[in-house]
Amino acid sequence: MLSVNGLKAKVGETEILKGLDLEVKPGEIHAIMGPNGSGKSTFSHVLSGRDGYEVTGGSVLFEGQDLLDMEPEERAQAGVFLAFQYPVELPGVNNTYFLKAALNSIRKARGESELDAVTFMRLIKEKLKILHLDDSLLKRAVNSGFSGGEKKRNEIFQMALLEPKLAILDETDSGLDIDALRVVADGVNALRSPERSMIVVTHYQRLLDYIEPDHVHVLAKGRIIRSGGKELALELEEKGYGWVLEQEQAA
Amino acid sequence: MSDQAPTGFETWLVAAGSAAGEHEWLDRQRRHAAEQVRELGVPNTKHESWRYTSLKRLLETGFSRVDETRVDDLVPAGIDAYLVPGLDSHRIVMVNGHYSPRLSALGELPPGVRIGALREFLTSDPDALRERLNAVIGPQQPLFSALNTAGSDDGLVVLLERGAILERPIELIHLAVGMEVPRVAQPRHLIALAEGAQAALIERYISLNPELYCTNSVLELALGRDATLYHDRIQMESPQAFHITGLYLDQAANSHYQGVNIGLGGAWARTDIIARFSGEHAQCRLQGLYLAGDQQLMDYHLDVEHAVPNCTSQENFKGILYGKGRAVFDGRVLVARNAQRTDAAMSNKNLMLSEHAEVDTKPQLEIHADDVKCSHGTTVGQIDAEMLFYLRSRGLSASLARRMLCLGFAGEIIESIHHEAVREVVAEQVGARLESAPLD
Repeated sequence: MLSVNGLKAKVGETEILKGLDLEVKPGEIHAIMGPNGSGKSTFSHVLSGRDGYEVTGGSVLFEGQDLLDMEPEERAQAGVFLAFQYPVELPGVNNTYFLKAALNSIRKARGESELDAVTFMRLIKEKLKILHLDDSLLKRAVNSGFSGGEKKRNEIFQMALLEPKLAILDETDSGLDIDALRVVADGVNALRSPERSMIVVTHYQRLLDYIEPDHVHVLAKGRIIRSGGKELALELEEKGYGWVLEQEQAA
Repeated sequence: MSDQAPTGFETWLVAAGSAAGEHEWLDRQRRHAAEQVRELGVPNTKHESWRYTSLKRLLETGFSRVDETRVDDLVPAGIDAYLVPGLDSHRIVMVNGHYSPRLSALGELPPGVRIGALREFLTSDPDALRERLNAVIGPQQPLFSALNTAGSDDGLVVLLERGAILERPIELIHLAVGMEVPRVAQPRHLIALAEGAQAALIERYISLNPELYCTNSVLELALGRDATLYHDRIQMESPQAFHITGLYLDQAANSHYQGVNIGLGGAWARTDIIARFSGEHAQCRLQGLYLAGDQQLMDYHLDVEHAVPNCTSQENFKGILYGKGRAVFDGRVLVARNAQRTDAAMSNKNLMLSEHAEVDTKPQLEIHADDVKCSHGTTVGQIDAEMLFYLRSRGLSASLARRMLCLGFAGEIIESIHHEAVREVVAEQVGARLESAPLD
């Protein structure tokens, strides 16, 4: 589904990603862990097409298409979804109006018909339940005045509605207390399917107690220095990032 | 002093139907206004309130007055296409400044409420107007208001007696129909609410075709003690038109006024709002939203006078500018020496969608009292890149995302429109305007 080969990217003059390789197959959940400054967020942003990053080498293929050549909306329409670490507040932009526009933009790009109001509302209500979200959310402005937990749940709610093929969760656990974390993780788990892949980017192992990954990768200094199964996350939790970094240097 | 009107304005001074001689008091007011016009002459950009605006184009066009007695014939298709779906109102329609009985539908009025056309009132009950006409605006009038006073066509008169409450809104529709020559219409309105009276007024300016004409309207609004008026003003003149409004407001003690000004049309649309508190504990909320694109100048001048203590005013105007659009926001709040405990907040925010757009914003507070809460702020900014990326990352095209952010910016003002049915029409119109605007 996703093939990242030798990806290099810089911000300004600083090279952040220095040859990153990653292979994600349909239905797999990959956790990307790493210390601060390792390039985790840069990787998420480059995949989603955010401005401010210059790709200087390598390639990213999504279902055989050159992802890096696509506009952010084309990536979303192709089925890539980024759950933001810091969801942006959009004062005055009504949540329902926004969700409908997003869903219909994606449906249109897929050659499907736009949903009428009734069908759309039925779908929305169904998805709200998954995230234990209240209807009142629909009348509010997107993320505006939301608590940290509400913002993160709103991200997963959007993911539930847009049904991406590949979801990238960028530090979705940051700023969440344990209850909120559980709700978010339950929402993510409910969306697991054999066709849907996820990349879970996180600093801490704790999220992986709730969202169980198939593969765990350690990102450091812009490259994946170690990959393994879910037990790697536990080992990291116990021994800290220093341990893999030392092993890497010794090698 | 010259006997001649300033060049370009000669025919503006002739009152419609030349009703001269009918009422001595009215003739005197008109003569006085005409004299004032001659004294004032044509302002140039050296005048403070005309610093950013040139009247050159208006004068070159040479708008003339057309006496239209059979205005109904100008709108053969009727009014249906211009109504707000779902709005149940007491409707009065003016075509090119003249009352159209056929297109109007006043319906049943509750006791204590009188609504009608100015010229009908002048025939049937001139005494009801004698003490009221020109009372709020006063004898010293700026050029365009004086032109209107000297030569007004027809207009709306609303008189609510003490305690009268009007449930349905009054809807005043101005229809503009192009004539063989560029013409000027000078509608003149008077709304007077006695003590404790309540009403809502929806004022809409609509043009049948994208033609060149000029509207020069004056409104006098007098709110008695404890009176409440909601006033939604939707200006959708032709993109070629000149639109001038002088809105004069006087508020007695404990009265409430809430005005929302939506400015979408006109090549040059100037609105002057002159508000004065004459009694304590009154509240005035003035809000506005304007869109200006190529060949458009949206021009607002606010003058709010806190002459007495304990009043609250809020002035909140937002603008979206694109292409080579221009706007002026010239807002002034004056707090008199004895107007203690005044609460005034003025804000003007502008969203610039193009580097060729221009806004001149000048909010001013002039405070002579020492125990007041006053603030003013102005911003001129662009669409936030983070917000834009967030929307695009959800599959929205860049242009749809921009439009959505603009509507979000405008939403605060649109939401404050008193009638939901009107709100929807405005949201739709603003959306349509943004859709056709070059936002990229």
